[in-house]
Amino acid sequence: MQSAKIRAALLASPPIILIALFVGLPVVSAVLYTFGHTGGMNSVVAQIAQHQYVADHWWGTVGAYRNVFATGSFWHSLLDTVLVTVCATALVLVLGGGVALYLRLSGGWLSKVVSLLAVVPLFIPVVIASYAILVFYAPDGFVGSVCQLLGWPDAPVLSYTMVGVTIGQVWVNLPLGVLLLSSAFTSVPDVLIDAARDAGAPMTRVIRSVLLPMSALPAVIVATFTAISVLGSFTVPFLIGPSAPNMLGPEMANTFGPFNQPQQAEVMAVVVFLLAVGAGVYYVRANFRASKRSGASR
Amino acid sequence: MTFRNGALAALVVLPTVCLALAGCGGAPTTGNSGGQTVTVYVSGDTNVKDLWQKTLIPGFQQAQPQYSVKMAFSEHGVNDVTTLAKLGAAVKTNSDPGEDLIDGDFTQAATSGWTEKVSTANVANLKNVDPKLLLPVEGGSVPYRASAVVLAYDSKTVADPPTTLDALLAWIKANPGKFTYNSPATGGSGLSFVTTVLDKYVPATDRDKMVSGYDPALNGDWDQGLRTLKDLGPSIYQHVYPNGNQNVLNLLAKGQVSIAPVWSDQALSSLASGLLPPTVKLAQISDPSFTGGPAYLTIPKTATHKAGALALANWVLEPAQQAAVAKAMSGFPVIPISQLPADVQGHFAGTDPNTLRPPYSDQTGADLNRLWQQNVPG
Repeated sequence: MQSAKIRAALLASPPIILIALFVGLPVVSAVLYTFGHTGGMNSVVAQIAQHQYVADHWWGTVGAYRNVFATGSFWHSLLDTVLVTVCATALVLVLGGGVALYLRLSGGWLSKVVSLLAVVPLFIPVVIASYAILVFYAPDGFVGSVCQLLGWPDAPVLSYTMVGVTIGQVWVNLPLGVLLLSSAFTSVPDVLIDAARDAGAPMTRVIRSVLLPMSALPAVIVATFTAISVLGSFTVPFLIGPSAPNMLGPEMANTFGPFNQPQQAEVMAVVVFLLAVGAGVYYVRANFRASKRSGASR
Repeated sequence: MTFRNGALAALVVLPTVCLALAGCGGAPTTGNSGGQTVTVYVSGDTNVKDLWQKTLIPGFQQAQPQYSVKMAFSEHGVNDVTTLAKLGAAVKTNSDPGEDLIDGDFTQAATSGWTEKVSTANVANLKNVDPKLLLPVEGGSVPYRASAVVLAYDSKTVADPPTTLDALLAWIKANPGKFTYNSPATGGSGLSFVTTVLDKYVPATDRDKMVSGYDPALNGDWDQGLRTLKDLGPSIYQHVYPNGNQNVLNLLAKGQVSIAPVWSDQALSSLASGLLPPTVKLAQISDPSFTGGPAYLTIPKTATHKAGALALANWVLEPAQQAAVAKAMSGFPVIPISQLPADVQGHFAGTDPNTLRPPYSDQTGADLNRLWQQNVPG
């Protein structure tokens, strides 16, 4: 029994060692740096950083946090990040759920084409897609030209706006939503749907009382993964978004490199991490409940 | 059965541990003993990448076949800060930084004493280079080409281009949506425009300190200039500042904007290749002029293949290579222009390699990037 446990621990250890070395250690060191601990692994970055706050107590200093939180542009970026995350996640759930439902309930060739189209973004690199979206909605792009032809020369331009960024985020995250939700809907047995129909339930009632409740866990997974990936995204807002305020991804990259303030950049990273943890809690809780219900939890 | 599982576990664990250890402290691998592989870190826009990939590297390998050259490219210099940190760490621990030669703005490394000092003793061809160019880097880097930011305008729509900064600012306000510059953090041409507008209000003595060193107390001199830039916001194309020098050139080529600050070398080569229409003309403004300066080759103090790096730096300073740089990317030569062939001398019409106004130091520039981002857009 004892040796089996050790074997299991050994088998699980490679990923744990890898994560501890290449993710855990740098994270700990970065968090220490945000509190002004500039020695050890942080000595090199501290050597060239500007506007750095060095620890003045044994536990450090909150100077860097105070510095970041006192900047108006940080709060603008944070607000934009949260808004885009909430909107993109809601849109992915609604659109992905819609496509998946259509596929589950109609099953014709048209629904297959739609679901296939929804997965296409999976095979297009994000950089290319972002640039394409930027050009598509530019004043001289497709949308602008069509509006011009229809006699609407002052049509709003979505390139370089947060609306454009949200469209980009939905484009990137929709495939995962469609794939997960359609597999969830497919796993609901036909018998349940037929039983509800036989009892006289209209289709809306079937969706509301059978399909949706039975797909709650995948929906939470889609929402969490979308939210976390949008929170930390860089390419989409960097290419499509405005110069400022933009999402925290480009803001962090700017602060780290061109502004030469790695400490402040890492403070922002801590904030994004806390937001992502907030989203992750739902995922863990939903998973835990689901496994408890199925009796697998020990 | 037990044995098999144990062996399986070991099989899985071992490579991972080896991988992790290799990542932590692998010894630098040297090329074969006969020749040397020189690693060049190139930072900049695609034109600089092309210069190395298509002209300098093949030329050098042919001229001095005992060396081969490997390139690491950092677009828009996004990895510069990381590379600088790596270089500092390598010098501190006396180990190989990974690069033997750096083409990019690493003045801070040179003035921190992390780089090989250069002189005619180890780079003979420096005898043709103006010694003044070595002052900003305290002799720690080899100047090998220069460029300046100039005003590009479409002569089709702008008959009478502004010739001073004040006239340019007035023109921008009078023609909303017809001017743009890239955000200063993403490219030197936008940075130069921002620097030039700010300089309008910076006292000359303070500016000297901003160029040669770093004093955050002077940042207050920029307040008025930043307000001027903010006021321009509604007149900028789409109220947005593109990322990178190339995007500004693209807007100019498509006729979306009529005037923009651009790098002389990038604009001249785009004109030569037809990426910019021939109606686009270049001119310098005055009071103050846009900034410009030399680009440097830097050799880390602890580089493994120093001999090859020095040979490459020396070779680039030969008249033939200076002419090739001028032809390939319209870079200004750092040796007297009279040493170049006549057809290359005629290449620089409309720009003046001699009136280069130096940009701010790296650290001052980092503060400028931040204050611009916080105060100007949005």
